[in-house]
Amino acid sequence: DPQKTAFLLRKQWTLYSVTPLYRFSNAHLRDYARLLSAFIAAEKQKGLAGGGGAFKCFFSPSQLSSRSPASPKNSEEKLIWSGWFCCVSGDDLSENVAEDFTCLPLFLANGAECYTSIVGSWFQKTFDCCFRHLAISPLNLSWMAAMWTGCKVDKTTSAMELVFSVPCLPQPLDISYAIHPEDAKALWDTVQKTPGEITQEEVDVFMDCLYSHFHRHFKIHLSATKLVKVSTAIASAHCDGIIKFLQSQYLTGVLMLLTELAISQIQ
Amino acid sequence: MDETVAEYIRRTVLKIPRDEIKTMLQKWGFLSETQLQTINFHQIKENISQDVVQLCEENSADIKQAAVLDIIYNHIYPNKRVWSVYQMNKTGEETEFFDLTDFKKKFKRRLRSALKNVTINFREYEDNAIWIRIAWGTPYTKPNQYKTSYVVYHSQTPYVFVSASVLKSNLPLLCQALVVASNYHDIREMELRSHSLNSLKDIVFKRYSQNFQTYCPRPLQERNVAPESADLRIIQENRHEKERIQRVNREVFGDGPQPQLEFAQYKLETMFKSDSKMDVLDKKEPFRCMVKFSSPHLLESLKSLAPAGMADAPLSPLLTCIPQKARNYFKIREKKSLFPGSFMKIIFKDHYRAWGRRDSWNIDVSKKFPSSFSGY
Repeated sequence: DPQKTAFLLRKQWTLYSVTPLYRFSNAHLRDYARLLSAFIAAEKQKGLAGGGGAFKCFFSPSQLSSRSPASPKNSEEKLIWSGWFCCVSGDDLSENVAEDFTCLPLFLANGAECYTSIVGSWFQKTFDCCFRHLAISPLNLSWMAAMWTGCKVDKTTSAMELVFSVPCLPQPLDISYAIHPEDAKALWDTVQKTPGEITQEEVDVFMDCLYSHFHRHFKIHLSATKLVKVSTAIASAHCDGIIKFLQSQYLTGVLMLLTELAISQIQ
Repeated sequence: MDETVAEYIRRTVLKIPRDEIKTMLQKWGFLSETQLQTINFHQIKENISQDVVQLCEENSADIKQAAVLDIIYNHIYPNKRVWSVYQMNKTGEETEFFDLTDFKKKFKRRLRSALKNVTINFREYEDNAIWIRIAWGTPYTKPNQYKTSYVVYHSQTPYVFVSASVLKSNLPLLCQALVVASNYHDIREMELRSHSLNSLKDIVFKRYSQNFQTYCPRPLQERNVAPESADLRIIQENRHEKERIQRVNREVFGDGPQPQLEFAQYKLETMFKSDSKMDVLDKKEPFRCMVKFSSPHLLESLKSLAPAGMADAPLSPLLTCIPQKARNYFKIREKKSLFPGSFMKIIFKDHYRAWGRRDSWNIDVSKKFPSSFSGY
């Protein structure tokens, strides 16, 4: 669905892992919307959510069977927050889970943090699930860097950028290392041996090459610093669990990877 | 008093931290001491600024006087702006006597001949610094007091510090006016930029403590040092290495505080060279990268990398040369080998005494804009 895809692109989504939901049913979405609206209204009364005016929620069943978005809107139809559940190729998890449970391990939210926590608490209370921030480790970030660099993109305009942080110095230091996308891809193509398959060793060699090129010039060991952000033409990912989708054709692929990360955090 | 002037004064006062307002108004000198005493400086800033505007109304302030207050504010808080450095060149050798009145007259005349709608203010300070404030208009509109450029010129030097903020299109005109007014021949932008005006001055005027190669024999007490802890079983394994790192760091960075810069940017166009055994990327073209280092205090941060174990000591001359070369934008290309056929023959001279030796990379002066302006 191109409209829905366009909605997802170029926005900053914060990631959460969600344990299976107990007795969640697509048939009751209208009721859920009503209940969530009431809950949010009550929280606003308590002063836990900012902004005035009436509040309306709606849930919509997704076109793809594996996704069900939930998007509260305010009465003026201005979208102030949206979130959606996702499970792409998460069959392993669903298999091991009892019948009453629905597996939607990945949750993405865009908008004010206060709404995310309200929606999260409602889901947790209603379906006995658990939301947790999904952090992305430097190891996983380097996988993303390698994988996404290898993707073929029509217009290679964005550089492949790695951002490193060295916080524990007397004066913190941030290092942005951006490589021309064609050159990064050329390097990855010589490292990756089997098409369609990536090994940890290949990712390590790729990153080591980049680190040693950097070391040659600056005598700094990037491997001793913390990789906090990876940005390519496909998507950008931050270690705090923030993702931005930039290419619709690779959307599913990225979601698959994120679902995997969410599942491994739950287990 | 003009409404726009009143509003401008009000907004300028609001920028000032409350505890500093009285001092700044006194420095300004436009309101008398008696008038200042009528203001309650403990009320909220909105009210203070209203009171100030009221008094300025009584004194019929005009834009020129309001501009002076703005200069004073920026002189005390220069780090709110980003400053670039320009260097002017003269053909002759003699240092001419600097005539301030002449400078101001020529500057104004040159600027106004091209653009009538400008507000120009000057203010001199004790350290021979001339501060110039320019508010830019267009051929059809009055000067916009919120679109200002600042120039700091030390008349005894060929250096000019410019905070252009908006309207980069007016830079050529500004540069021309400076060259003409100061009797120089041309002007070029240096690849040096920072929020810290004083650090930029430290760098170009060489006021930071530079490293000097001094002969430092190994201190004798190294052998006779008392154990740090009473328990002789505890020793520092890497003490020699740690001391070497400290010593090398001191040689390279000097002993004193570093000038404060926020970033350094390197455009790399060097070849990729793999040290791994794997048959990796063997291209004849450069591996194009852009590296940017950022920190609240970049040089201190870089200095602490080797002691923290994250970098080798000495650090690369690409980083340590920043103050000496007075730049924080670099374009690095591979040094051309003597044998054009063999592109992979890359000559790297690791040098541990960077100062005074040629670098093994060609550091290009990438002149972005403007490249040079000739005066009359």
